[in-house]
Amino acid sequence: MNNDIQLESIIEDYLNGRLNPAELAAFEQLRSNDPVVDHKVVAHNFFLESMQKYAETSILKAQMDNAHIEIDVYEISAKVKPHSSKVVRIWRNNKSAIAIAASFLIMASAVLLSSYSLNKQEGNLQLLDRKVSQLNQSQNNIIRVITNDAQKANRAPAKFGGTGFAISSNGFILTNYHVIKGADSLYIQNNKGVSYKVKKFYMDPVNDIAILKVTDLSFVSLGAVPYSIKKTNAGIGEAVYTLGYPKDDVVLGDGYVSSKTGINGDTLAYQIAIPVNPGNSGGPLLDNNGNIVGVINGKEDKTDGAAFAVKSRYIIEALNAIPQDSLSKRVGYGKKSILQGLKRNQQVEKIQDYVFMIKVYN
Amino acid sequence: MSIKLSSSIPTDREVVLGILNNSEEALNKLYLGYFPMVLQFILNNSGDEADAKDVYQEAIIVLYDKIKSGKFELSSKLKTYLYSVSRRIWLKKLAQQSKKTNNIADFEDVLAVDEDFERHEEKDQQFDQMKKALDNLGEPCKTIIQDFYIHNLSMQDICEKFGYTNTDNAKTQKYKCLQRLKKLFFQL
Repeated sequence: MNNDIQLESIIEDYLNGRLNPAELAAFEQLRSNDPVVDHKVVAHNFFLESMQKYAETSILKAQMDNAHIEIDVYEISAKVKPHSSKVVRIWRNNKSAIAIAASFLIMASAVLLSSYSLNKQEGNLQLLDRKVSQLNQSQNNIIRVITNDAQKANRAPAKFGGTGFAISSNGFILTNYHVIKGADSLYIQNNKGVSYKVKKFYMDPVNDIAILKVTDLSFVSLGAVPYSIKKTNAGIGEAVYTLGYPKDDVVLGDGYVSSKTGINGDTLAYQIAIPVNPGNSGGPLLDNNGNIVGVINGKEDKTDGAAFAVKSRYIIEALNAIPQDSLSKRVGYGKKSILQGLKRNQQVEKIQDYVFMIKVYN
Repeated sequence: MSIKLSSSIPTDREVVLGILNNSEEALNKLYLGYFPMVLQFILNNSGDEADAKDVYQEAIIVLYDKIKSGKFELSSKLKTYLYSVSRRIWLKKLAQQSKKTNNIADFEDVLAVDEDFERHEEKDQQFDQMKKALDNLGEPCKTIIQDFYIHNLSMQDICEKFGYTNTDNAKTQKYKCLQRLKKLFFQL
């Protein structure tokens, strides 16, 4: 032990150039003969250099902290910080997106005013009409004229569909309330064409959200849900996409958030520029990082591309309203999605097993 | 205050000479002179006052190393250099927080400082390594080591400060501490 202490202090003196010539010669002799000593010298030298650097930087940091106290940071920041008005800032940052959204709205209203031709499609058309009448109820006469069409169309076929997505691995499916409203029996069908019977589990007509539970015994666990739910709001111009079942196969729709409010300034919803069709209702709206930012729930009739989505915040509200222990491997909130960084096609590949067609019979 | 500050920005020559001579006054002047510029940049690019302080201090450390190593040429303006380094550091932090870095609001010209930045990152890692090792060392070892290696106290001073009966005891203690510290440092 004493020898070690002495050796260490000699090494330190050697590295600091404090040995006299005789000692120096003796030590260098020892060092060249004994690789263990040589290794100790090299390691200690590296250590001392790091310590030296650490000492310099620590002192510099302490001096800077002293200088920093002198500064009235908040007085300066009041002068240089970005414009306090949120509106001005949003305008500055999103000029182009707002311009697109604005021109879009103008176009949309022009089309809405100019054309009222009622060349409705067959089949899944029902859903859209139901949705429109639902909007009319909850949002007061925005497109009241259409209510007439809706009533007319309601006499048509009795089977319609929508989209839903898994919120846990054990068969809880989220969709729109308007999709399943008044249904006698409900089925979901996955992208391989297999159907399962589901029942209504939770309904929230105000936010247009419903949660279904698979009752079929043949249903097997889906595995952990790949997406997560975004807690914060999406911004205007944010790229988003949706998967849905406007036909019997899953269809990808791509676009961006065009307004922070839905129809008639409805703060529950976003307006999105994605071409959606009857059957898309209840589909997940995802951003590029694989976070769910909303649920598609309607579109402006007579206009292509102006669709609406319920904000993700209300999905979280609905999820919090049901017993948590019934959901196994529940979808996460505000967490990093495992889809982050993947390309769009890889994301879709992973997500499509969790998106279902909702089949409604009444 | 800030009017006084902006009028007291030192010349680049003053700063370089001051730093080479370890003048604390030169550092103070430099620090006060350019902080508002970096604060403005950070606040306008989704950071806050604390971020500005961290980034600015890191940038000054980079400048220090550059000047001390004799590589700083007065051909580039000090202001532009500090701004560019701060900007580079902040972009990296933004990227780490996975925030967007494509819409940066700029207030000054920007130089390419990637090389200096990378060198700094290496050194910074070494600094963190030593800091972690010291933090894990525990007392009284941490203070003994800092007194000896950073504050340059002699073994005699340390012996008195910690109340060891003789310098040999103090030396033994310091040796034990140093062995533990080196073990921690080289393991990290």
